[in-house]
Amino acid sequence: MNGFLATYRRELRAYFFSPLAYIVLFFFLTVNAFVFIYLVGELSNPASGGGTPFSYFFRASWLMLLLIAPVLTMRLVSEELRSGSIEVLMTAPVTEGAVIAGKFLAAFTFYASLWLPTLAYGLTISAFEKVDWGPVFAGYVGVLLIGALFLAIGTFASSTTRSQLLAAMMTAAVLFILFLVGVFEGLVDNDVMKKALGYVSIWNHIDEFASGIVDSRRLVFYLSGTLFFLFLASRALEDKKWR
Amino acid sequence: MIEAHSLTRRYGDFTAVDGISLSVREGEILGMLGPNGAGKTTTIRMITGFLPPTSGRVTVDGKDLFEAPREARRQVGYLPENVALYTEMRVSEYLGYRARLEGLSRAEARQAIPVALERCLLADVRDQIIGTLSKGYRQRVGLATAILHNPRVLVLDEPTVGLDPRQIISIRELIRELGRQHTLLLSTHILPEVELLCDRVVIIDRGRIVAEGTPESLRQSWMGNPSVRVDLKGAPEDAAEALAAVPGVVGVRPDGIPGSWVLECEPGSDPREQVFRTAVERGWVILELARDRGATMEDIFVRLTTHDATHDAATAEAPAPAAATEEGEVVS
Repeated sequence: MNGFLATYRRELRAYFFSPLAYIVLFFFLTVNAFVFIYLVGELSNPASGGGTPFSYFFRASWLMLLLIAPVLTMRLVSEELRSGSIEVLMTAPVTEGAVIAGKFLAAFTFYASLWLPTLAYGLTISAFEKVDWGPVFAGYVGVLLIGALFLAIGTFASSTTRSQLLAAMMTAAVLFILFLVGVFEGLVDNDVMKKALGYVSIWNHIDEFASGIVDSRRLVFYLSGTLFFLFLASRALEDKKWR
Repeated sequence: MIEAHSLTRRYGDFTAVDGISLSVREGEILGMLGPNGAGKTTTIRMITGFLPPTSGRVTVDGKDLFEAPREARRQVGYLPENVALYTEMRVSEYLGYRARLEGLSRAEARQAIPVALERCLLADVRDQIIGTLSKGYRQRVGLATAILHNPRVLVLDEPTVGLDPRQIISIRELIRELGRQHTLLLSTHILPEVELLCDRVVIIDRGRIVAEGTPESLRQSWMGNPSVRVDLKGAPEDAAEALAAVPGVVGVRPDGIPGSWVLECEPGSDPREQVFRTAVERGWVILELARDRGATMEDIFVRLTTHDATHDAATAEAPAPAAATEEGEVVS
């Protein structure tokens, strides 16, 4: 537990001390703000199909994760492998699992904090109109779950290589495949295939979350996926020793 | 304190460490000496539990490194060859992080950090960002983290490498100081370091131990016959003959400069007085009369780790039987 907490704290502070994190934050908030302003503008036109800004907001903004997750996680383990600080870390009385968990949770905490300022959107809207908070809440649950999975994939990629660039590329590649699943779902006409793809299609998931549905199957999918990749990451770290 | 039993580590076909057994005794400073690439770092990594051995086992204070890794690791403070620190942190913050990682409670850490800072002479830079520190200071930060949890054994891998001469001196002093309170295993390829710091030496070459003992005993066993150098003014013609006749002298050879001779002596004899008397009788002027210090660690080291057939003869004469056979295998 000590090892986990020490790693978590040190990684979290490393995020807030690195310029990259602020670039990510800036990029994330800027894009989100434009998306939101655009949505509010479009939807306030009586000729539009209707719907709340939030139902569209999450459907659009999750896409940024494809860029953010690789950048936030690429440093996590690769940097330690490259600099050699892994040596002191792995000769301390801590387990690989604790180190990986600490690093992942720090990344997740930082990621969650990226969303914090967007709460202001809800509050702004609620000043003018009644906001249905249920779907908004579900939307946040959705992006946090998707984020957890993506960050876990990134953590795993980072623990396989000493090159941050390679880690980011691998993560991006895997995330892109997940992204494409949703595209292919619409293209295949084999029923079984369609169903299988539909089950893992993040597009479908975020649609559900954004319309206020928190399905336990999705919870299981994301949580087990996250744990699976974290497990792989800790095994990869262990494996580094044997070579 | 540390017992390593026939540690072997292979990388594919390459055997980096080939059956090294060594024990570090409570309270001593054991030096591990070897040329670059001899397997020192690999051995140390296996002893600290960073690298699992291909075969063999390690116990620290009786606890097996693989069966009880946490307990065993808690006893060891480790300074790796390349001290990698988190450069964005301040010195005291970094120590705080390391203390927690080593399993100290908050209260324990609060006590241990100032002590470690003090002992490693870091109190002045405690609030500096590590990235701005010189290499010597970083090395000290590394040492400070190694002693934070007050381990019984310190393992230092090439602690003075890459430092300037003044930094080297201060790190050595620090190591000697630490040696009073901790058992120490130290690797180096710098010879004077071993003579200055270590109680016992293990010489490693090509993944094997080729010699072991105190610096004193190694020197004695490898020294060969004692010899005396004499420098006579004007190079008298009958000098060689007369010197050879001095009791205790078994051979005389010129030492390059005219008038300068090296007298090989019987073991245990000291013919300097007789040389002086002979000179006085014959009216020679002695400019210099000195006993050779015998083999230095450097001679021993070079002999043991040079892979050259011409050294066969030298090693065959060596009176240290165990080391000689080892060496025979290595050379052949």
